[in-house]
Amino acid sequence: MAVLQVENIQKNFGKVEVLKGIDFAVEKGEVLSIIGSSGSGKTTLLRCLNFLETPQEGRITVNGETLFDAADSHTLSDAAIRLNRLHFGLVFQQFNLFPQYTVKRNITLAEGLLAKERIKKEGSYNGYTDYREALAAIDQKAERLLAEVGLSDKQDSFPCQLSGGQQQRVAIARALSMEPDVLCFDEPTSALDPELTGEVLRVIRELKAAGRTMIIVTHEIEFARDVSDTVMFMDGGVVAEIGSPEQVIGNPQNSRTREFLARFNER
Amino acid sequence: MFITVIQALSEGFLETLKLFAVTLVGALPLGLVISFGSMSRFTPLRWLSRFVVWVFRGTPLMLQLIIIFYVPGFVLPQNPWAISGGRFWAAAVAFIINYACYFSEIYRGGIEGVPKGQQEAGQVLGMTKSQIFFKVTLLQMIKRIVPPMSNEIITLVKDTSIARIISLQELIYAGYAFLKGSHGYSGLIWPLFFTGVYYLAFTGLLTLLFARIEKKMRYFGG
Repeated sequence: MAVLQVENIQKNFGKVEVLKGIDFAVEKGEVLSIIGSSGSGKTTLLRCLNFLETPQEGRITVNGETLFDAADSHTLSDAAIRLNRLHFGLVFQQFNLFPQYTVKRNITLAEGLLAKERIKKEGSYNGYTDYREALAAIDQKAERLLAEVGLSDKQDSFPCQLSGGQQQRVAIARALSMEPDVLCFDEPTSALDPELTGEVLRVIRELKAAGRTMIIVTHEIEFARDVSDTVMFMDGGVVAEIGSPEQVIGNPQNSRTREFLARFNER
Repeated sequence: MFITVIQALSEGFLETLKLFAVTLVGALPLGLVISFGSMSRFTPLRWLSRFVVWVFRGTPLMLQLIIIFYVPGFVLPQNPWAISGGRFWAAAVAFIINYACYFSEIYRGGIEGVPKGQQEAGQVLGMTKSQIFFKVTLLQMIKRIVPPMSNEIITLVKDTSIARIISLQELIYAGYAFLKGSHGYSGLIWPLFFTGVYYLAFTGLLTLLFARIEKKMRYFGG
């Protein structure tokens, strides 16, 4: 069964239709890359999945549970949206680390707050009834995640002391801290110097090997071909073409996909 | 003579300090409330907040002091300021509202100056609005507003002398008294000039304090 099912997502900003009915599904452990030119709606789609934008139409289902249904106002309340967000992680183009906290605290902050709240309201969090014990476990997890992205030695540094590539790896660890079902990347290497993209892409490859379900909006066509199970080409707010990387990138059927890739290869 | 003057000036300075401190304690939080009002998505509240800010920034503090001190006596059955220390509290109310309006705009600038991505990063991690404000935005906002706030707070030290218009016996009032005649002296001008030393010493102290705060928050770039 699909982890994520997206049906008929439509989003307009005023009169501008940015998404005109998007449908797709992602299986557990699958990596979906979304490519397309600027303005095609890729980022807006990702923002809708993370409930930073509210679509006018459509439905989002995760593990069989309908998280969002434009026709059902219960799924639109602040509290519901907040819980829904925990199913998704988002890594931003601009990292958006919290500058005033150390690397480790960036990773533990959100879960620590959640644990505190749950213990107060429901008596326990992840089996812990004592906040300090819960926090110790969260701390350990952060150290594990930092090891995964290769930054164990940076846990007490502040974001401004790190390179862009290191900051983005911390941002990935932070997104993983909430154990999302689907991890989304919004052009994770676009703000990086070319020599720093490699370390971030390497981490994403390792996450794929570890079986994470991921959606990656990217301009790195070669990377998309290499890491993805499925590639989706968006154009003008619709899915123009979707399929295996061999098919969409290697042998595109849609004329717009061909044009886009041809422009890309010229560079 | 010198001792008498210093004693009288120090008493006035104490009153100045009291007004300064009470204004800060009241206006710092009230300004935040007003800034939330003027950023509210609820239009009537936003308009009301911006109207209040316009009125209090758009008229002289001296006029506000006079109105707040005298008008209640005309319109209310009992003058609320007819208590011991009533003058002081009337001045405090005027100063708190006036300064809260200025502070609210500084806060607004500070909050809006924190990149939107910070808030969004908190949101996608499942944090609530208040968690995002207190744990993510607040410190970054404080870092941004220290320079304009220090300006405003230093202005406040000197603005307290405007309370003289309703005969609050603050530092300038105490200095001027020696010119008009007080403590057995009259026609003395130097005590009035000497009040400048108090203001300079106190604002100097504040300047050092703000420099320290700025330095403390230099560790993070945002």
